[in-house]
Parts: sequence; C-alpha cells; structure tokens
Amino acid sequence: MFQGLLQFYNALLMFLTPKVLFDVLWSTQLGIIVGMMPGLTATMGVALMTTLTYKMAPENAIIILICMYIGAIYGGSRSAILLNIPGTPANAATAVDGHPLARQGKAGMAIGIATTGSFFGSIIGMILLALFTPLIGNFALNFGSFEFFWLSIFGIVICGNLTSPKDPLKGWIAGFLGLFIATIGMEGMHAYRRFCFGSVELSGGISLIPAMVGIFGFAEILTIMRQPEMEVIQSKITRVIPRLKDITRYWKTILRSGVIGTFVGAIPGVGEDIAAWVSYDFASRSSKEKEKFGKGSIEGLIAAETGNNACVAGAMIPVLSLAIPGSAPAAVLLAAMFIHGVRPGPLIMVEFPDFIYQVVAMVLLATTAMLVLGLSMVRFLVKVLTIPRERLMPFVFVLCVIGSYALAARLFDVWVMVAFGILGYYMRIMDYPVAPTVLGIILGDILDKNLRRGLILTDGNLIPFFTRPISLILCLLILFTIVSRMSWFRRLVKSVNSQLSLCLAKLRQKAGI
Amino acid sequence: MQRQNMSKADFVTSIFLLLFSLAIIALSLRMPRFESVGASPYSAPGIVPGLLGVVLALLSLILLIRSIIRSGYKLNLNVRVVRAYFQEASTKRFFLTLGLCLFYAVFLVGKISYFIATVLYIFVFIATFEWPKRDRQQVLKKAMPTAVAEAVFLSAAVSMAFRYLFLVKLP
Repeated sequence: MFQGLLQFYNALLMFLTPKVLFDVLWSTQLGIIVGMMPGLTATMGVALMTTLTYKMAPENAIIILICMYIGAIYGGSRSAILLNIPGTPANAATAVDGHPLARQGKAGMAIGIATTGSFFGSIIGMILLALFTPLIGNFALNFGSFEFFWLSIFGIVICGNLTSPKDPLKGWIAGFLGLFIATIGMEGMHAYRRFCFGSVELSGGISLIPAMVGIFGFAEILTIMRQPEMEVIQSKITRVIPRLKDITRYWKTILRSGVIGTFVGAIPGVGEDIAAWVSYDFASRSSKEKEKFGKGSIEGLIAAETGNNACVAGAMIPVLSLAIPGSAPAAVLLAAMFIHGVRPGPLIMVEFPDFIYQVVAMVLLATTAMLVLGLSMVRFLVKVLTIPRERLMPFVFVLCVIGSYALAARLFDVWVMVAFGILGYYMRIMDYPVAPTVLGIILGDILDKNLRRGLILTDGNLIPFFTRPISLILCLLILFTIVSRMSWFRRLVKSVNSQLSLCLAKLRQKAGI
Repeated sequence: MQRQNMSKADFVTSIFLLLFSLAIIALSLRMPRFESVGASPYSAPGIVPGLLGVVLALLSLILLIRSIIRSGYKLNLNVRVVRAYFQEASTKRFFLTLGLCLFYAVFLVGKISYFIATVLYIFVFIATFEWPKRDRQQVLKKAMPTAVAEAVFLSAAVSMAFRYLFLVKLP
C-alpha cells in the first residue's frame, strides 16, 4: 500500500515539469474541443492523436492520449447541454437533464455541474484504478492458456451483450467478425499466411489503428454528412463555477455513480455511454426528487457525468492488468502502449511495476487540467460549435488518411482505413455495434494463441478447459450471459419468481405474520 | 431503420454472412496441418478461423431464421422504391461524401503531390456542399475565396507538420 503511494508520488514528481504540464494543458483542451464537436468522438480523437504522437517518448505520448481521452469524454457534455446533441455517445444521458437546464437559462450552471461531476467521477475512478489494477494483475498471474481463451470469449460475449442491448445477436456477430479479422495475416506458430490470397500487404495482418480510424473516424464522417444539418442554438452563459451546496447535497449520488461508472468501465468493451446510462438509472431510482428527472435535474446531470468520466479510469483497469480494453478509446490506448514498447497484461507487475502508478498520476493531471479548463474559457469555446460540418469534415478525413499512412508509411493502411470506414458505416445503419468488432480484432491474437497452446498442452483433450476453477467460472459466466438474453429463460425466471412470492405469501399467512 | 426494413436488411445480411462463414470454414479446412514436419495437429493454422467460421455460421443462421419469421424475405424491391431512395437528400449527401473521400484516398493520394491533392480535395468538398446553400453572388464573393484559403492553409499545415515535425515521407 505504502509502496504504491511512494510509486505514485515519484511518478507525479516525474511529470511535474513545464514541458509535460504544457502537453497536459493543450491535449486536454484539444480533447474538450474534440468531445464537444458532434461527430468527433473520443475514440476518433485518441486514434488520430496516436498517429500524431508515435514518435514521442512513451510517457509523453501516453499522457497526451489519456488527456485527450478524459478531455473528450467530458467535452461532449457541452454540446449535450447547449445543443441537446451529445458530443460523444458517452454524453447521451447528460443531454436528458443538461439541455432542459440550458433551456431554463441555466446553461452556465449546468456546464459547471457537469465539470465538477466529471472531476469527481474521474477522481473516484482513479482511486479504484490504483487499488484494483495491482490486485487483478497479481491474480491474473495465475491465468494460463485455458483462462485466457475463455477470457477473450467472455470479453466478446459481454461486450456484444451490453453494446447491443436491443439485439445481442448482432453484437455477438460483430464480435466474432472482429475475432476473424484478427486471424488474417501471418500466424505466430508456423508463419503460415492465412486468408492473404497472395497479397504481401495482407500477410502483415490488419493493423488496428487504421482499422479503428476508419471504423470510428471515416464512418462518423459519412454518418454526419448523411444527417440533416443541425441548428446551433445560441444560449446565454452566465455563472459557470457551481455553488458548493449543489455538489455536497448530492455526495451520495456522486459516490455511487463513480463506483458504478468504474465498474462498468472495467467490463471488457463496455464504454462510457453505458456507464452514464446505468449511473443515471440508479440515481433516478434512488432519488428523492424523481419527478425532476428529465426536466432539468441537477442530480441526474451529476450522475451521468460522474458515471461516464469514472468509466475512463475503470476502462484502464483491464487494459493494464489483462491487456483487454474496457472501452473503445481504451482499445486505442492499449494499441498505443504496444506501439510505444509498453506491454500491459498480467506481466505488467513484473516487467513495468511503476507504469500502473504512472498512469494513475497521468489520470490525476488530466483530471485537474479538465477541471481548470472546463470552468474557464467556456464562452469562447462554445463558438467552436458553430463551425459548419462541410468545413470541418474534409479536414478530419485528411487527418484520417495521413494518420493511417504515417504509422508505417504505406498506402495499404489508407485503403484499410477506407474499407473499415465503409464497413463501420453500414454496421451502424444496420444496428451492429462496432465496439465488439474492435475488441475482437484485439482479442483475436490472444484467442488464437491460447486455444492452440491449450490444445497442444492437453493433446487435444478439452476437459481442462472446463475443470480448472477460473476457466469454469468464466465458462459459466459466458453461458449465463447468453442464456439470460433468451426469452424462454426470462419467462422461466418470471414464473419462478411469481411461484416463490406466492409460496412466501402462503407461509406468512400460515405463520400469521 | 424501421423494424420491417430492418428484417429485410437482416435477411440479406444473414445470407451474405452465412456464405462468408462457409467460405471461411472451407478455406480453413484447406490450410496445411504441418504434421509432416512433426508439428502437433492441434497447432494447425486452420483450427481457430475454422472454429470462428462455425460460430459465425450458427449466429448468421439464427439471424436468417429470425428474419424469415419476421417476413424479412418479402423484399418488395421495385424501381419506384430504389428511385425514391436515390432521390432522398440524405442519400445524395452520403454518396457525394463517399465519392469525394474515395477519390481523394484511393486515386489522388500517392499519385500526385500530397499538398496539391489535399488542397483539391478540401476545396472541392467545401464547394460541393456550400454551393446549394447560398445564392451565386454569395458563393462567388465569400464562400469560394474562404474555401480556397482554408484548403491551402490546412493542406500546408498538415503537410509541414507531418514532413518536418513527425519526419514522415509524405505519400
């Protein structure tokens, strides 16, 4: 515990230099701008920034990416409050109460509350990140091939389930498609070229960053340009710094939403949007002012913003301890860590023991910058929202192209970006979530190596995949996740519930209670 | 998308996905097993893609059956529906954007100077979408000069940043 604090202190001291602080400020500000522009998501921002920072020193590059991530998730609240259009999907729940507050002439107050909520969410997430990552990392040292195989399947199943709540089948198809995409190219055991059809470029596999830039960048451009033009509403912004009583009054909501957000973030592939909605839902159920929800409730706004920013730190827990991303932007962050020579995963506690606390220090710096920048320059930055899309989108696409090209200086990656952009666009149109596909591309290699390694170890015997304790738990969780979405299972649970309550009522009657 | 249209889309997609997954299984089965060089048969490269192909085929089959139950097979495609789709303003905007972006990324970048390709792309993109929004005088006096300025400035900034700051050999 004290060793951890010491490592955190050392990491913080290491970052307190004018150059790093300058990097923190501009990248967080850029993140806020990216987040507040409808159509530019946090994932797109982090992916584009990865291509711009890959020549920097690892710590400098990763702190910039974390600042971009935290800034963008927070920045989306601006457009959600002022335009009723969430800047990133993470801020959809923010718009429900944030925009009614703006319509009541309290836009400044709503921005202030959202900023403070995001700050506390991020801090709670940071504390849990520091506490749980080493624990999970140490626990994951017991994982063998069997466990990693089930973990990758579990990641896909749970991510497909939660990112496509209306139709999990499409989420699972998207996830398994991603796992398949990861198998394209030269495999690791025999150097055999799978699905390359003689192409030299394909034998290197599909690079994650161009694929992600396409899926989240180009697909977003196509979606934005297809939609009717939005109207910018001019809102008057008065006092931004919130009153202390508005915050202290809802301390329970802040704490609860922070914990929920972090927990949701730690689930593989489940991002900030779901964290915000779950936090909002819990807050609305336990609130004393239920009637205000949806009409400009400060508590609702705090819950949503605390939840989504806590999720950012939560999503980094599995990134660092298991090398499995908790959300789509965290997936890019994971890829960026690999690019910079840091290998997250169970061995991080052995290979890079200081890195976890460095990330915690980075989150603290980014969160502080977000609070300071979020409460200042509000009126000036709101003007960014008035940039027309036909002026902004070609620039974003130029960055998508050059960013994809710059990583390996080959045009093939630009074509990969374009192909994945078109794929991502049609997936969105047809209600297939794209997050499981991206998670699949990352987990594909883990699945491939560990399934074959496990089978070689057991000489083809499948029983150890089901009998080792952690494997068995993961396998049962996968089974439960799938079965829980089936209508017959829900009907069964309902009927068992009603039978049980009937029996209890009879017993109470007999006992005379 | 409306539920009925979604069922139709699911019907077509599931057939495509089913064929795709069957192709994956067929290609995986044809992959070498390296047993002749003494390798374990369980290290064969086709095991994992083959398994993923089977799972994808099963999921697509479920999607296909579900879309048939929801009458997704009644596609009702005719000239009128297709024409109406292509006449929608949103469809036109989508295809224009896609065309411009594809032309830039596939046919311009790498073929001519990066700076010129980017200037052309940004200018044409802005001009194409701003032209119908304003009257001719406004377009010629205000929109076009600013579009040229923006295209030149952004192209120069991106080219310089990548060439001299990130030391990337531009395409």
